[in-house]
Amino acid sequence: MEVVNELLKQMVTYTPIYTLSSLGLVLGGRAGIFNVSGEGTMLAAASAGYIVALQTGNWLLGILAAAAMGAAFGFTLVAIHETTKVSQFIIGISLVILGAGLSDLLYKLVLGVQLFIPEAPKVPEIRIPLLSQIPFLSAFINQNVVVYITYALVIFVYYLLYKTKQGLELRAVGENPKAADVVGINVTLTRYVTTTLGGALLGIAGGYLPLVVTGTYTPNMTNGRGFIAVGIAIFASWRPERTFLGAILFAAIEVVALQMQLSDTLIPYQFFLMTPFIGILVVMWLFKKKVEFPASLGKPYSRE
Amino acid sequence: MENSISSARLKQLWFLIRPYVFALGLAFLFTGVMLGLLGFNVWEAFKTLVTTSFSSRFQIVETFKKFTPLVLTTFAFAIPFQIKFFNIGSTGQMIMGGTIATILGLGISSIKMPSALAIILILTAAALTGAFYSLIAGALKAYHNINPIVSTIMLNFVAIQFTNFVATTPPWQAPLTGHPMSKELPEWMLLPKIFSELHVGFLIALGMVAFVYFIMKKTVIGYEIESVGHNLRAAEVHGINIKKTTLVTFFLGGMLAGLAGGIEVLGVHGRLVEGFAVTSGAEYGTFGTLTALISGAEPLAVPAVAFLMSILLNGADSLQRSLMVPVELVFLTQALIVILVVTMRERFKK
Repeated sequence: MEVVNELLKQMVTYTPIYTLSSLGLVLGGRAGIFNVSGEGTMLAAASAGYIVALQTGNWLLGILAAAAMGAAFGFTLVAIHETTKVSQFIIGISLVILGAGLSDLLYKLVLGVQLFIPEAPKVPEIRIPLLSQIPFLSAFINQNVVVYITYALVIFVYYLLYKTKQGLELRAVGENPKAADVVGINVTLTRYVTTTLGGALLGIAGGYLPLVVTGTYTPNMTNGRGFIAVGIAIFASWRPERTFLGAILFAAIEVVALQMQLSDTLIPYQFFLMTPFIGILVVMWLFKKKVEFPASLGKPYSRE
Repeated sequence: MENSISSARLKQLWFLIRPYVFALGLAFLFTGVMLGLLGFNVWEAFKTLVTTSFSSRFQIVETFKKFTPLVLTTFAFAIPFQIKFFNIGSTGQMIMGGTIATILGLGISSIKMPSALAIILILTAAALTGAFYSLIAGALKAYHNINPIVSTIMLNFVAIQFTNFVATTPPWQAPLTGHPMSKELPEWMLLPKIFSELHVGFLIALGMVAFVYFIMKKTVIGYEIESVGHNLRAAEVHGINIKKTTLVTFFLGGMLAGLAGGIEVLGVHGRLVEGFAVTSGAEYGTFGTLTALISGAEPLAVPAVAFLMSILLNGADSLQRSLMVPVELVFLTQALIVILVVTMRERFKK
């Protein structure tokens, strides 16, 4: 019972990494921008968030710095694509590599080589009185601040996409930019705003790693999660509520794999560490008939 | 008369290289400013970056040794890219090739056979391993429409774990080493040297350049790949099997990456070492992707750009050693060059 609750809590703690990143991709994706740069965006944001939190001693500034770095990546992607119509995938892949270089460079330049890597101030937990006594439920609400923000963002993005006029317009841009343009929706502006905001969400997901999960920045600490987020967005058919479920699934896989790795089994631990990566392929394969894409996803739009 | 022809030629040439000149100029300007801001001697740094590779026989050989796997991983990306698919899994294909090469090499090390036979067997196994590993992503795309950007990357991470498993588990693991690595392969199995420390893998890589050029330009399959890349609908109407073409490009790409892994094991390390596919701070696969994008994935441009890239990578290593410039700065510059080159190419098209 105690063990299950502890595992459950750990799973919920990992959930924002996948939720925020794939939610960020969904935002831009629904307007037609396929952002594959998540891995690089998250890495650069992790580094920026860690450095700022460490230097200022303030976790909130760290999260904000991570969000700003993420937004900068999202903006760069959409700006280059919208002005030159260069393939979103080429820009995305280049940004992955740029982010990997930038993150280590920032770290080295600001902190140099250190024997003991200092821990950044961690995001505090909020315990809700009484409710946090209830088993299982407590795992979901005995959590750090970003988890609550994540819940709010899932609901917000869902509401935005399906219940507001702006959401309808946003989806129209992703489905049929020409028709959206004809009825007076600003296609370019919509793509800029959603991709930049989506980048900010990816950034928070990146900053979450050092500021909640590990406490420190290490090179390549995203470890493929930025690409798993792309997989989640795809098999969730670019829908925020399904994205959340997918994120929970992958947080669970990661936590279980970690536990199995520590336990004494005959199977070498490396095979447990493979499971998230094989898992995403299996899930994408299982859902291949059900997935839907915004019709203009990944395609450039110009008026002529 | 003669003069006007040559000036027209010059103009044509200028149009061709204009995007690259602007992109490189801007990227190096950025790097120069960064270096200056960080308090490095900019002139000294650029001189090291560019001239190191020509400074001694050792450095020339080092450059060729970097070129060998780099040109192969560049093609690993460039071939599927002909039909607009992204194989960013050359890292995984390369290390799987190297890992299987090691397992096979250690397995047959007690059998008496001519060196050449063993080398051919091992390199073939490495190439086929890479090919079939890449084919997983190709088949997932062709039959299940799963995005290769996701699948190839995921297979990279699986391969990294598999390599770690082999390098840390008996009977392959080398005893008493801190870093995960396998036992050494016997001397007679390693690639012979052709010049100083340069191994025969360099010639194999050059042979592969010719092979790819032949496939792409002189065979039916090359023509089909080009048609699909040019216009998918039209190719389909003309009866070209898109699925087959997809599988072939991934097979060929993975084959070259796997071969690169085998060559690195037999030519450079003599054993499986975790991280053997890393150079100048990142994987050969990553640099291959960058190189392919800069070269526009043109079969003839690939070796040229890969060679320039090897000079830059070798310079970057030296820069880190002598001036303590973080190698990531060069890495960053290269990603920047890619973005600038593709942007400029698009810009100057009109």
